[in-house]
Amino acid sequence: MTTTTITTVPTTKSVRKRPIGFYIASTWLVLIVFCAIFGSLLPLPIWNEGQYDYLGVGPFSAPGHLLGTTNDGYDMLSGLVNGARISLFVSVISVTVGGLIGGLIGITSAYYRGKFDGAVQLIFNVMLSIPNLVLSLALISSFAADTDTQEATVARRMTVLIFSLTIVIIPIVGRIARGSALQWSSKEFVLASKSMGTPNLVIIRKHILPNVAPAMLAIAFLAVGSVIIVEGSLALLGVGIPGGASWGSMLATGRNYLEFSPHEVYMPALAIAFTVISTNYFGDYVRNHLDKRESKI
Amino acid sequence: MEVIRMIAKRLVLMCTVVVIATFLLSLLMWILPGDPVQMMVPNAIDTQRDVIREATGLDRGIFGYYWKWLHDVLTGNFGSYYLNGGTQPVSTVLARSLPPTLQLICYSQVVSLVISIPLGLITAYKENSRLDKFISSIMFTLISLPSFAFALILALVISVKLGWVDPVGYEPFGGDILKHFRQMALPVVSLSVGLAASYTRLLRNDVIATLKEDYVTMAASKGISDRRVLWKHVFRPSSTTLLTSAALNMGGLIGGTLIVETIFAIPGIGYEIFYTIGARQVVAMQTMIALIAFAYVFFNSTVDLLTNITDPRTRERRN
Repeated sequence: MTTTTITTVPTTKSVRKRPIGFYIASTWLVLIVFCAIFGSLLPLPIWNEGQYDYLGVGPFSAPGHLLGTTNDGYDMLSGLVNGARISLFVSVISVTVGGLIGGLIGITSAYYRGKFDGAVQLIFNVMLSIPNLVLSLALISSFAADTDTQEATVARRMTVLIFSLTIVIIPIVGRIARGSALQWSSKEFVLASKSMGTPNLVIIRKHILPNVAPAMLAIAFLAVGSVIIVEGSLALLGVGIPGGASWGSMLATGRNYLEFSPHEVYMPALAIAFTVISTNYFGDYVRNHLDKRESKI
Repeated sequence: MEVIRMIAKRLVLMCTVVVIATFLLSLLMWILPGDPVQMMVPNAIDTQRDVIREATGLDRGIFGYYWKWLHDVLTGNFGSYYLNGGTQPVSTVLARSLPPTLQLICYSQVVSLVISIPLGLITAYKENSRLDKFISSIMFTLISLPSFAFALILALVISVKLGWVDPVGYEPFGGDILKHFRQMALPVVSLSVGLAASYTRLLRNDVIATLKEDYVTMAASKGISDRRVLWKHVFRPSSTTLLTSAALNMGGLIGGTLIVETIFAIPGIGYEIFYTIGARQVVAMQTMIALIAFAYVFFNSTVDLLTNITDPRTRERRN
């Protein structure tokens, strides 16, 4: 009798009931993604058009500007909505591209082992030995610096930003993918498949990749969070996307008016914080479920 | 014998990583459009440029330049900043900027360990209680908070609104000691919050695992008080991950201090690196980044080696 209750109760509970954080995090992310995609259709003032009747007004105190305005008279809410688009665009693209490249390299190196694996590990170690922020700072200021004759354009800055963040992501995802693939490629079913003469690429595609994918998804969620943070840091250092477009650059602009209109700093800071908390939550959530699944095997 | 071989292997790997990293930096500088000397001293005349080109080895091609840089660094010549007026050796800048950064890192580590050890033990001991859930969710939130957001909000509330400390500035340890700690408080807190939160989580997980060991049940059944069991029997075996991660952070934190140092205008390594990259001092930049990479790899390998030697279980697991 007792054994049945012990085995059944926890499983039903863990499948049916999701923690409240799950709902909060997913609501926020859905909201942000919605703003990023349909933000331009919302009935909001244009984000970088000065509303000179209201300069630096706090939240909830100016008609038509729900979250107040910046010191330049830009509407905060539409700034945040536009920032969601830029920040998400930058982080999702760089994490997707970096994750795919890193995952591919990691999985193949773990599967084939040998010299190739050694070289890949060395390269990953080299890339990881330079802190994220320093690496992307160096890349951006080399490729998209303002020279004396011309200022780097927004598009160029953004391309280089995405490019350098992608490079930062590759070893992070790659190492996780490698570790996970190493574990899976020593499993019996892979050996069995090999002995039946299945081509290596088919084994990787059908047996290794599906098993490694959840771990990569988990790390990708965490990576989106850290990319948003790095983007914010770069903007604060003055090498992000200029003109207050992303959350980070809103923060960087608002920092100059910290004393007069603090909401200009804490609103984008909160937006960044909520998004990072949500993506971290999902990363953890996926990873915990992964552990459960693996312990069953 | 095996230990010596292990150390030798690590040393070779360590040097390889740093050499490749710095070589890639030189290569990056080389393939970029534009003359590096022109970038460093945009307003110099041609003869000055030739002198600089000669001094840095930039006239010898990529390999010649790299070889000269490596040779110089190994013999203690860290290169120079080439400003429009003259030169300044990187070693002077390092001597000036290392102490603030090291202080910042050490204080942050101490503060975050002091906070996280009791919290980690208590949350694990009361696993799934209301207290645990409360503390753990706060910690989860704090891990995700970017340190710059925290730094800016602290600067706003503590220095601008309350006026307890100056918003920016640094006081050396040798000077007014009280002022030193007061000025360090905000940067240290903004760095420690995330660290403390992640340490708490690490320790909590390990302690929960240790609490399930038989010898803990044994100790408890002997009638030893819970507090004593926790500190004497549980804490030490559970602290490996925590200490490893703390040591690993020593290298990584040099990069992490960059943003905090810039916000609070502390003249440390991070701030100098930012300046160096901005001023396009390619040679100095290479030395600085080599230093960080070396610190990171050094702590990484040392920790790895120490855990290998002290805890033979990890060695077996790896082989």
